[in-house]
Amino acid sequence: MEFILNQLSGFGGAFVALVVDPLTYAYLITSVFLGIAFGALPGLTATLAVTILTGFFGNKIPLDYSLIALLGAYVGAIYGGSYPSILLNIPGTAASAATAMDGYPLAKAGRGGEALGLTTTASFIGTVIGTLALLIFVWVLLLISKNIASPEKALLALFGILLSGTLMSEDLVIKGWIAGLIGLAMAMVGLDPILSEPRYTFGWSYMLSGFQVVPVLMGAFAVPQIIEGLRHTATGTMVALKGRVVPKLGVVRKYLPTIGRSGVIGTGVGALPGVGEDVAGWVSYGVGKTVSKEGDTFGKGSMEGLLSSETANNACIGGALIPLLVLGIPGSPPAAALMGAFKINNVIPGPTIDPEIILRVVAIMVLASFTMFIMGLFTAKIFIRILRIPQTVFLPVVMVLTTIGSFSVGGGINDLYLMLAVGFVAYFMNLMKYPIAPLVIGVILGGLFDETLRRSLLLSDGDLSVFVSRPGAAILLMLNLALVLSQLPLGKRLLARMKRTPA
Amino acid sequence: MAAEDTLILRARDFWTALVLIAVSLFFLWKTSDIPLFGSNRAGVSGADWYNSAAIVPLGIFSGLLVLSFVLLAISIRSGGAAHALTRAGIGWNPSEALRFGTIALMLLAYIAGLVPRVDFILCSGLLITALIFGYQGGHPQRMILSTVFVTAAGAFALLAYGPQAEWNSHVDDWVTLALWALLTLIVLSQAKQTPVLRVVPLIAVLAPFILVCAMAFGFRQNVPARGGLIFKQIEYHYYVTLRPLWRT
Repeated sequence: MEFILNQLSGFGGAFVALVVDPLTYAYLITSVFLGIAFGALPGLTATLAVTILTGFFGNKIPLDYSLIALLGAYVGAIYGGSYPSILLNIPGTAASAATAMDGYPLAKAGRGGEALGLTTTASFIGTVIGTLALLIFVWVLLLISKNIASPEKALLALFGILLSGTLMSEDLVIKGWIAGLIGLAMAMVGLDPILSEPRYTFGWSYMLSGFQVVPVLMGAFAVPQIIEGLRHTATGTMVALKGRVVPKLGVVRKYLPTIGRSGVIGTGVGALPGVGEDVAGWVSYGVGKTVSKEGDTFGKGSMEGLLSSETANNACIGGALIPLLVLGIPGSPPAAALMGAFKINNVIPGPTIDPEIILRVVAIMVLASFTMFIMGLFTAKIFIRILRIPQTVFLPVVMVLTTIGSFSVGGGINDLYLMLAVGFVAYFMNLMKYPIAPLVIGVILGGLFDETLRRSLLLSDGDLSVFVSRPGAAILLMLNLALVLSQLPLGKRLLARMKRTPA
Repeated sequence: MAAEDTLILRARDFWTALVLIAVSLFFLWKTSDIPLFGSNRAGVSGADWYNSAAIVPLGIFSGLLVLSFVLLAISIRSGGAAHALTRAGIGWNPSEALRFGTIALMLLAYIAGLVPRVDFILCSGLLITALIFGYQGGHPQRMILSTVFVTAAGAFALLAYGPQAEWNSHVDDWVTLALWALLTLIVLSQAKQTPVLRVVPLIAVLAPFILVCAMAFGFRQNVPARGGLIFKQIEYHYYVTLRPLWRT
């Protein structure tokens, strides 16, 4: 009990410090607005919002303000994706794909205002649930993570890349792993972290410092999106918004069990390394369809269906920050972009992170969700207007934004060449159904994996048993092996047989 | 996924697997440059195998090689190899190839030719105008025309002022400005058919102007081509004319 009170008082202190600072509001309102606009515009994603703002705010302002800007945009963008899903039947972000299933039929039935109001409320409650989980579990995990040493860190990094590759693959799982390995390979470029041995520099001095995170992020997430989006598409018929947006308390109360359940599911899915808000939305939607009394109406305009996905994708944000802050492994693609921002500010997320930063992150999340809630309820009409802008008009501006953002972090033209090269590769990878998130996570965690693996071997004089003699390492090794084996044909057959066998 | 789409994917996987095998082998060979089994450089003993800088890359590229072979096997078993050389198998789409090819050329010209050498507002304005005009409405002729304008500006800057020592020249700025103005006239002449095009000049001027000023004077960061035709004037008047107003 004392532990929880300590956390709450620490959070209270961080919260008050933010609330009394007028600059907080300037950053918060701007970033949440930008985030919702990015989410609302089909063709722009939450990952892109965080990535582009990392280029702008990443290392140019104090870390606290930078975090406000990035987390505000993250929260806003995930919520903003619901606008086109409900009104245009086009998901603004991948996270809102499940939202369109019920949101659009509801809007067509004249319940668009109610759907938007409840979505806003559910997204707010979902974000708060995820944030509370972050506040509580991050500390429990931090206590455990004090025992994490190099072998565990290396295996955790590998697990994060493998899991992300496994879960994010649309086609073959092997493609996710290949993407992760390409990311790891990219992280090997430059001076190695222990002996400063140059690797794959081809005599080019720029390569000695390795690939910079921000140009890689911009290239991987922004450039393919711009290339893909620059095509003529009909804007779609927008359903007129009918009914009041601000929901009635009684209606919110009616849906609280659904919102609560979806919030917990979203947080849990978010806590899995590398798994994003889209997976959280679909998992929660699937569970909702199974357990809900109105499961049959899911996909035909069910409010429960709408809230199942919308609550979960926002709750996923808090969940995704848990592995990021405690273990240094991003829980979702936007969290990977956030990790890039931490890195360029010389903050290393993981067991050694300053606990004060976690408290500030939680306080910022609460404030960002409040801002999103108020903006969503009272300025919805502004965002609906944004939906009318064709993507061929705003994507060229995004390209210019990406270029100047990428240039300003490193201050060199070479970063732009890197961004473009990564962008073209990522575009073709997308085309061939290779997930990009494992690649980015590989680039971000590659240095850590390399250093900790070799340090483990160095300390044990090359004795490989260091990966099984420590309980934590042994568990993680088993998890890694189980994950790989479960995807092999033999493992799949065994799993299928186990499922068929009655308990 | 439809069976036809899967077949196209497997045909593409066949080629990807071959590329990945070649890349893995190349980098495995490059890894041999890094000392692995206890090197001896200038009489100083190097690292043991377990601490060698080569050990992790070796594992990564070996893993990539193995996975590439697995992908190749999957592709061959699923009929990807049989369709690998057919147009339908690869999923070749001429209009999509034109769309991607023109965008790629413009981005290359912008990043490699224009941004390092030409004023950021001018080159970004040209790019924004070209991209909106080229792809709003999906007209192939407009895509090609836009590409000609951007690549002409990029190629001129790159070929005429390639070396870094010549990046401060303003001739390429003037050429880009002229091409941008000409393209804008073409865009405005088409605005009757496509009303969205009316706002293009406004977006093309304002967006890069605001961005470059915010970055240079708001965040105090480096921006590309500081000595560019327009930015040089903006910077001069910011420090000499405007800033003293609030500094005093």
